[in-house]
Amino acid sequence: MSVKYIPVQWNKNKYFYDAVLIICVVLFLSIYLYLAPDALGHARPINPAVHNARAFGACAFTMMTFILIIGPLARLDTRFLPLLYNRRHFGVLTALVALPHALTILNWYFIGGPVDKYEAVLNSNLAYDRVIGFPFESFGIFALLCLGILAATSHDFWLKFLTPPIWKALHYLIYPAYAAVVAHVLLGSGQDGHMPVFNALVTGGAITVVSLHVIAALWERSNGDPVAAKMERWESVCNWSEIAEGRAKIAMLSSGERVAVFRHEGALSAISNACAHQNGPLGEGRIIACLVTCPWHGFQYDVRTGRSPAPFTETIPTYDLRIEGDQVFVRTEPHPPGTPVEPVPVPEGAA
Amino acid sequence: MTAQGILTLVEMWCWTGVAVGVLFLLFGIHRVDEDASGAVAFRPLLIVGIVLIWPLVLWRWYVLARGIDNWQRRHVPPRHTHLYAAVFLAIAVIVSISLSMALKQTWPDHIAPEKLSTAAPNE
Repeated sequence: MSVKYIPVQWNKNKYFYDAVLIICVVLFLSIYLYLAPDALGHARPINPAVHNARAFGACAFTMMTFILIIGPLARLDTRFLPLLYNRRHFGVLTALVALPHALTILNWYFIGGPVDKYEAVLNSNLAYDRVIGFPFESFGIFALLCLGILAATSHDFWLKFLTPPIWKALHYLIYPAYAAVVAHVLLGSGQDGHMPVFNALVTGGAITVVSLHVIAALWERSNGDPVAAKMERWESVCNWSEIAEGRAKIAMLSSGERVAVFRHEGALSAISNACAHQNGPLGEGRIIACLVTCPWHGFQYDVRTGRSPAPFTETIPTYDLRIEGDQVFVRTEPHPPGTPVEPVPVPEGAA
Repeated sequence: MTAQGILTLVEMWCWTGVAVGVLFLLFGIHRVDEDASGAVAFRPLLIVGIVLIWPLVLWRWYVLARGIDNWQRRHVPPRHTHLYAAVFLAIAVIVSISLSMALKQTWPDHIAPEKLSTAAPNE
């Protein structure tokens, strides 16, 4: 959260998350290198450098696959939300695992000649006009660059400095990066006819990722937040009786912004649905002790003011709200972040 | 473009990024983000990011320093773009899988290896 930045914001949950991650990476590398070379089909005599490079490359690919699976799973089933909580550390570790793969390849295949190794990797294969023998290294270089950008811009400072929408747009690089990694593997070591199990795992992982993302995106389209009905400067959001105590109804306004209308102690308050941290869906959180908690990373806000509790300083826009009959109306124009708005009591005798 | 040309451009990009990074971390960051004021330990972590995306850093620095940031845009996440990203990924992955399966490289297993030269004199 805010206050003053520190290098890494760890807590008990993040320590646990990171410990599990590191144990899984060590286990993966150990199994790949020592326990299951026959099953993976890379038992042919290859030197240790290539063997290590493949192990780190396979581990990085697997990690990217899991990272990309977490998002749609959490969208489709909220029980997966805890996996989303510390996904940035997962991403940084993935970049750190991919790096030894690249460096090992660079220092094994491209040194010893008269040409500089970086020049050699760019010059060694220029057959960009064909599929068989395509310079698959270029896909790997692109993916590594993307992973580097994502890891290097993972600190909370970047979210606030760039704004969450720009940060999110930048982090969409994970999609072309993953596509590049799949091409890198399948047009590279995937051409080795002696690794059928490995190729099947890569193909299966990629298809799983693609399927989940398409399903989640289509689900979002059909089950997404309803669009508010605009009436001059006010928009009809929902029936107030639909809002359960401590919960919210979300609606998309004509401006494209999403508003979350909360019911707390018999009164309604409207705030932006987008958390100031990563634009997580606040309206899917619930109110505990007067504060709504973002389901993604636990940031909290007072729904009456749009402000995080002291000493934190995050703020979100608030909205004017009124009730007419059974309908809740929200003014299209939000108040600047952190502006207090008096809650509107629901009609007396309401459940 | 030659490999040497690409590497020269990369080098120029990186050195420019280092220069932007030093200026931003020493003179800019605490003016555009109050949470960075007095916080020094985390700043080295930002250097790699600044080197990689320094044009974006310069633009945001300018926008924030001039006070022309649109606060409303902070709260409109690009959620609708996920479907496009998912479709792009699906097409790219299917193309890669199809090409790798359809155009398999064949190995000259039927040809016995042939030694092209004798060992070097010093071996």
